[in-house]
Amino acid sequence: MKLFSNTINQLEQAINQSTTKQKVISNNIANVDTPNYKAQDVRFNQSFNNELQKLSANKTNNKHIDFGTTGNGFQILTKKNSNYQHNGNNVDIDQEMTEIAKNQIQYNALIDRLSSKFNSLKTVIKGGN
Amino acid sequence: MSIFQVINTSASALTAQRVRMDVISSNMANMDSTRGKLVDGEWQPYRRKIVVTQPQGDQFSSFLNKAMGSSDADGVKVTEIVEDETPFELIYDPDHPDANEEGYVAMPNVDPLKEMVDLISSTRSYEANVTAMNATKGMLMKALEIGK
Repeated sequence: MKLFSNTINQLEQAINQSTTKQKVISNNIANVDTPNYKAQDVRFNQSFNNELQKLSANKTNNKHIDFGTTGNGFQILTKKNSNYQHNGNNVDIDQEMTEIAKNQIQYNALIDRLSSKFNSLKTVIKGGN
Repeated sequence: MSIFQVINTSASALTAQRVRMDVISSNMANMDSTRGKLVDGEWQPYRRKIVVTQPQGDQFSSFLNKAMGSSDADGVKVTEIVEDETPFELIYDPDHPDANEEGYVAMPNVDPLKEMVDLISSTRSYEANVTAMNATKGMLMKALEIGK
């Protein structure tokens, strides 16, 4: 029997993604005045992850070790071909600040869900006491 | 990946913006300094200084992170402080000790309007980075509440 449900793993993955997003946004804000800096964006998609799982090494011997293709479910893309400022920089500070606020709320919500999961477990372990 | 890497990213930006503000202050303070540098026994006026920044990411760790498919977010760094090569403005003032034979004095190439605009932009960027750092701090504190 599984003690920890699948939800906890999914929440963990979501929190990891949120942390990555925070990192990328912080870096964009840090480089808001750097000439020719191009903003980065994180894309989370399950299909990319699924495709990554399908990749397998061409093995000539079954003792060969497979490629380690544990995708973390996100891609970091650079927004090219656009200029938001005159110096070749394309960081839109309003957009980045909005994103950081959204990401913070999402992160807090995820942590709340995760905490309540553990609280439920605690209730069960204590037999409702 | 260290959990404090995000805070370090914002901190690097705060440092860079503060250097920019220092240099702008120096430019403003020396707006009228006709004796900036002594070249061959002749005084040269103060030259406006500009901070050059670039994204941080030439260390081994950031290349490794990139190869591992994770983010290469490392913040920003000040690479050098260069001098503005625009010509000095000549002002007619024959009584000035640094005036040439025709009575003209070379004044520093500092434009106070330009400096003020840069200063405000720098202050705003600094504030944006403080906000980002506070957001990250809040998230890390929240993570400590897991299971409480």
